[in-house]
Amino acid sequence: MTTATMRWGHALRIAAVLLILAAAGFPIYWMFVTSLTPSAELFAVPPRILPTWSQRDVYEEAFRAIPVATWLANSALIAAGTTVLSIGLAIFPAYALSRFRFRGKGLMGLGLFATQMLPEAMLVVPLYAIFGQLALLNTLGGLVLANTAFSVPVITWLLKGAIDGVPIDIEEAARIDGCTRVGIVLSIVLPLVAPSLAAAAVIAFFHGWNEYVLAQTFISQEALRPASVGLASFVGELSTPVHTVMAVGLLYTIPAVVFYLFVQRYVVAGMTAGSVKG
Amino acid sequence: MSQDVAPGAVRPAAAKPAARPDEGRWVPYLFIGPLALYLLLLQFYPLVQELLLSFTSTSLLSPRDHTYVGLDNYRNLIAASDFHQVLLVTFVYTIACVVLAVGLGLAAAMLLDQPFRGRGVARALVTIPWAAPPVAVALVFVWIFNAQYGVFNFVLRSLGFESGQENWLDSPELALPAILITTIWQIFPFAAVVILAALQGVSSELREAAIIDGADRLSVFGAVVWPTIRPSVALLALFLTIWSIRRFDLIWLMTQGGPIGATETLVIKLYREGFVYRDLGQAASVGMIGVAIALLVTFVYFHFTRRAEIAEGRR
Repeated sequence: MTTATMRWGHALRIAAVLLILAAAGFPIYWMFVTSLTPSAELFAVPPRILPTWSQRDVYEEAFRAIPVATWLANSALIAAGTTVLSIGLAIFPAYALSRFRFRGKGLMGLGLFATQMLPEAMLVVPLYAIFGQLALLNTLGGLVLANTAFSVPVITWLLKGAIDGVPIDIEEAARIDGCTRVGIVLSIVLPLVAPSLAAAAVIAFFHGWNEYVLAQTFISQEALRPASVGLASFVGELSTPVHTVMAVGLLYTIPAVVFYLFVQRYVVAGMTAGSVKG
Repeated sequence: MSQDVAPGAVRPAAAKPAARPDEGRWVPYLFIGPLALYLLLLQFYPLVQELLLSFTSTSLLSPRDHTYVGLDNYRNLIAASDFHQVLLVTFVYTIACVVLAVGLGLAAAMLLDQPFRGRGVARALVTIPWAAPPVAVALVFVWIFNAQYGVFNFVLRSLGFESGQENWLDSPELALPAILITTIWQIFPFAAVVILAALQGVSSELREAAIIDGADRLSVFGAVVWPTIRPSVALLALFLTIWSIRRFDLIWLMTQGGPIGATETLVIKLYREGFVYRDLGQAASVGMIGVAIALLVTFVYFHFTRRAEIAEGRR
């Protein structure tokens, strides 16, 4: 191969990478541009490719006219609750599945795997009935409980896979020092699987932040709506201008994307160490 | 993935300690108990309820009044031609999602595996779609696909396509492709990240040896790269399949399964039967068929991965 063709190959690859990045980023950029487009130009042809800074009070307006702050706060509470409960429920079973032999272990493993197949939309009706009996409809806590049921199986898998990779000898040493089993899990094993723990937390957080169908069904009080339900209420509704809808969409998207960019290193490390290892 | 589900998988080398003498046999159950109870109450019990519901006629308006109808709900589905279309749409959507996401993910992963300046930043940026909430994604893509003012048609016109006025989401032919474009945009980064991680396991010595032996790129890929990443790609394909069968919010918010059922997958059909037609029994029967399909896919996956492992002499 000559240097010239190698250089061409390299340039071509860079161009392909740039094309992929542009495609990946464009819809988010388009939300941003549309939110900062004056009403008069929203339906202009050709469309406006650059944002108009003078248009930025659309965000102030969105906060004033629409309960965006409440929506985002509700989403954050649901996501945080789902994260804490999922991790809390998953740690000890993950350890037990990795380290103990006991009757019913295969059944538990199979059950955890099978529950990942069930669509939320499918269980909405019976869950609605159960939560109605428990008086948990129209509560954020109820949504946390329901979301966790769908996020905890994959998280338990991920943590089990990570604990499989922790050498047993480390535990033996602590055991000789008189550590209890619970103490070993919390003070020795957990720090060693920190990247997977971070990945698990991010997966649970995103599950809670994004979840739509359960919230749409369980929540009828305006004040308890998360952003997913609030934003979805704009679909097919014509009185809210497109740039306001896009502004709200961006306010809902940006925290998730920024948060993800900060933690994605742990997510990738944790996912590859855990569940997606094969 | 686990020794329990896939007996052929390689077990961790370390011997597992049995419970200590001072620990009762109940310790594992104490560890498992809370989660097992939780899932029994919020997954297994609702699933059984759903199964029972599928043999009844129950209205959303009075969900406590059940009339037992035997297999009538299932008979209705089998007899109705629109349900055949639902199965076909689900099948086409799922296959297209898996094939396109894996294909595009593989291409992106190979590109991002090569050394170049700014590679770390590029690897982070490419994952952005995966982090965007589906509801927001649905809203912006509805706007992008707008017939008159959407930027998608504008780009098509600029590229010289004649009409460039396609009513993407209102056209029975184009709605599914539009939903697919949106879905692939959202999920291909996940495929890329998983494959990129798998590519790190490819032996560079083997790769170089093959190149020195005069192998071209395609044969290097077939002989060295693919065998290494295949287990990860297979697991990835399983997850993408299950997620495609489960996906609700994107499709529901973009087309509600329309026009005339062109994008109606099983989950959309279920929701429509239950919450638009208020027929909970019929909805439950659709759901049970979805569960059966998901279990079948999982079974097929484990069957083939096990066979592959046996063939490679890993057992």
